[in-house]
Amino acid sequence: MSASEKFAELLWAEKYRPRSLKELVNQEEIVKRLMKFVEEKNMPHLLFAGPPGTGKTTTALALAHDLYGEDWRKYVLELNASDERGIAVIRTKVKEFARSKLPGDVPFKIVLLDEADNMTADAQQALRRLMEMYVETTRFILIANYPSKIIEPIQSRCAVFRFTPLKKEDVVSRLKWICQQENVVCHDDALDVIYEISSGDMRKAINILQAAAALGEVTVAHVYKVVGLAHPKEIREIVYLALSGKFTEARDKLRTLMVNYGISGVDVLKQMHREVFSADLKLPEEVRVELADYIGETEFRIVEGADDEIQLTALLAKMALLGKKAGFRA
Amino acid sequence: MSEGVDKRIPWVIKYRPKRIAEVVNQEDAKAKFVEWLRKWPNVPKRAALLYGPPGCGKTSLVEAAAHEFGYEIIEMNASDFRRKSDIERIAARAAMSNSLFGAKKKLILLDEVDGIAGREDAGGLEAILHLIKLSPSPIVMTANDPWDQKLRPLREVSEMIQFKRLSKYDVVKVLSTICRKEGLYCEEEALKYIAERSEGDLRSAINDLQAVGEGYGKVTLSLVKELVKPRDREHDPFETLRNIFSARYAWQAKMALSQSQLDYDQAKLWLLENIPNQYTDPEDRARAFEALSKADVYLGRIVKTGDWGLLAYAIDLMTAGVALAARNNPKDKYRWVRYSFPQRLVMLSRTKDVRALRDDIAKLIATHEHISMATAKSEVMPILMVIFRSNPDYAARLAIGLGMSEKMVEYLAGPMKDEVLAYYRKYKEMMQREAMEEAMARTMTTVARETTESTKSTGRGSGRSRRKKEVGTSTSLLSFTKKKS
Repeated sequence: MSASEKFAELLWAEKYRPRSLKELVNQEEIVKRLMKFVEEKNMPHLLFAGPPGTGKTTTALALAHDLYGEDWRKYVLELNASDERGIAVIRTKVKEFARSKLPGDVPFKIVLLDEADNMTADAQQALRRLMEMYVETTRFILIANYPSKIIEPIQSRCAVFRFTPLKKEDVVSRLKWICQQENVVCHDDALDVIYEISSGDMRKAINILQAAAALGEVTVAHVYKVVGLAHPKEIREIVYLALSGKFTEARDKLRTLMVNYGISGVDVLKQMHREVFSADLKLPEEVRVELADYIGETEFRIVEGADDEIQLTALLAKMALLGKKAGFRA
Repeated sequence: MSEGVDKRIPWVIKYRPKRIAEVVNQEDAKAKFVEWLRKWPNVPKRAALLYGPPGCGKTSLVEAAAHEFGYEIIEMNASDFRRKSDIERIAARAAMSNSLFGAKKKLILLDEVDGIAGREDAGGLEAILHLIKLSPSPIVMTANDPWDQKLRPLREVSEMIQFKRLSKYDVVKVLSTICRKEGLYCEEEALKYIAERSEGDLRSAINDLQAVGEGYGKVTLSLVKELVKPRDREHDPFETLRNIFSARYAWQAKMALSQSQLDYDQAKLWLLENIPNQYTDPEDRARAFEALSKADVYLGRIVKTGDWGLLAYAIDLMTAGVALAARNNPKDKYRWVRYSFPQRLVMLSRTKDVRALRDDIAKLIATHEHISMATAKSEVMPILMVIFRSNPDYAARLAIGLGMSEKMVEYLAGPMKDEVLAYYRKYKEMMQREAMEEAMARTMTTVARETTESTKSTGRGSGRSRRKKEVGTSTSLLSFTKKKS
């Protein structure tokens, strides 16, 4: 035992990640089929699709663990499509990895490619060729939120597994179990709130749980405090400034928030959306709906690949106009 | 034609201003430059960067000023700057001649420094910065477009002196003076035509005048129309914006961008910055931003799909779409506004270090949690910040578990950094001590008994089961909580 283990703490989302397929309690159908692959020591390319925090990565890692044993990391190349700079980098890494030695009794190694739906169509074509080129020695597990964003030729080469959102009782009981392991007092209503806030995303739920526990007990108040602290109050100010026609001030604040604190455009929008429907904001109901439409459209454009700051600034300009029409006063 | 005409000397050189006062219509720039040169080296910026459109008098002013102040100009073409050794040679030359008794003072002129911005190698820029630092003589640079991001280090060390584009009237005045001195017959309308076509570039106007005047002995409108073709000239960002905003027809706005130094990606940022400066009506603003926003969506789709055919639509929207947005307050289109440099670029360069640190933290979390850096930033870092700013003891343990540096701890803990760092250092020290003890225990197996005794005396058991019980993180977490409440 190393000395560092004494003081080192980990993120619970990782600390309590199931290591083996046997430990997985959800997605029973998928697990059953994957266990067959382990038994036969053979599998096709796989595509895991489903919402965030439903266990796609965990399942893939557990599958690797069960296939290769404790040394599994040697036989798995983990890549995240949103972090790798282009398909050329991915190609080089895969090439190098495919060349190295094979594990004893399993005739292939695994390339785990997360967020594959973030790849452009061109990059996916190149990926398809890679999958064919190294099929003798390598299997790909692709992970995606939206299977529709994976090109048809790749889908047809993969066994597709669809992960469904976790049931509330599964999430809550897991959170409770973690609290027991950590000797942290938790209140049932707080766990309900965590589930609501994280909308079924297990990783997000565990992260919130850990921060709430760091404040003391896991209570409703602490959960809200964590969520409030994690979401800067500046966004409310930005909404108020824009609605009351102080466009340039709102813009400058927004820019500072994004550049200095590295908050992504989509995060800003999610929180703006919350603010627009908060009771503190005095707005005619129909204006709230109109704003929600604008915010949604803005998020759509950003997800399409547009620039965060341009899209948000355009939204602020619309807010200023709406605020003027509605006679908004902060 | 008078007897004094020497065909071999270009008129642009022959009629170069000898005195500062002769430089046409750049009073602000003159005043600023003369003051800087007079005070040198007791000036905040050791170099001066003269910028403005071509043919507006930048080099002429430097020459006239050097003449009046008794400087000898050492002229260098910035594109020659490749190696540090070149620079040292020039600097040495300038220094040497300065020290010789009676020698003229030197002024180093680097023309067209913006030329190096487009180059692949960064060496040239480094070399210039180096020269500015060690030169015993004033350094004056000129540029048409000093706003390239790569030139930022240069802008920071330079007194920035702006030259404006000359008006048609300014150009005509100079041309008719030359005509008079050359004894050349010139039609007023012909000079206006040349001036118009030159777009304020006096050098090109004089060249045109010389071409027609020397070739035909007179300058008439019909000759000029025949011979003088409009020049392809790139517009700087400020002109580009003015031309886009003031366009009344879609084609004008589109042309403004096609003639610009800015590519569409840069233009996007300049428009983003300046739409609210130009348009004041909320509805006009919203309309203009909507057009820019849609243009940006097309640009995003180009990146995603690789379909460059979409670029045409993006450009329509960001030029014509923005130009035709001022429907409530059409007068805003022609308002003179002071355009600003895209602040995003400024902020990005200012926050480079912090962003690099944030990326390092995200990378650490991403690897640890098997997620992307983007998810680490948007989902996990805010949570970590909550923990680091409310529970220093626990935060320090997490920092150790995740392998964070002290800088990372400071960033995440913000106002609580001292508290978290205190725990962090304490644990690190204890870990080191323990690691040493264990190493000693391993090497001294023969005297194992004594070692165990000493470990016990520091208050820690060596039995594995006991250690595990003691160390449970939850216990420590709760004990902190109790202390707090």
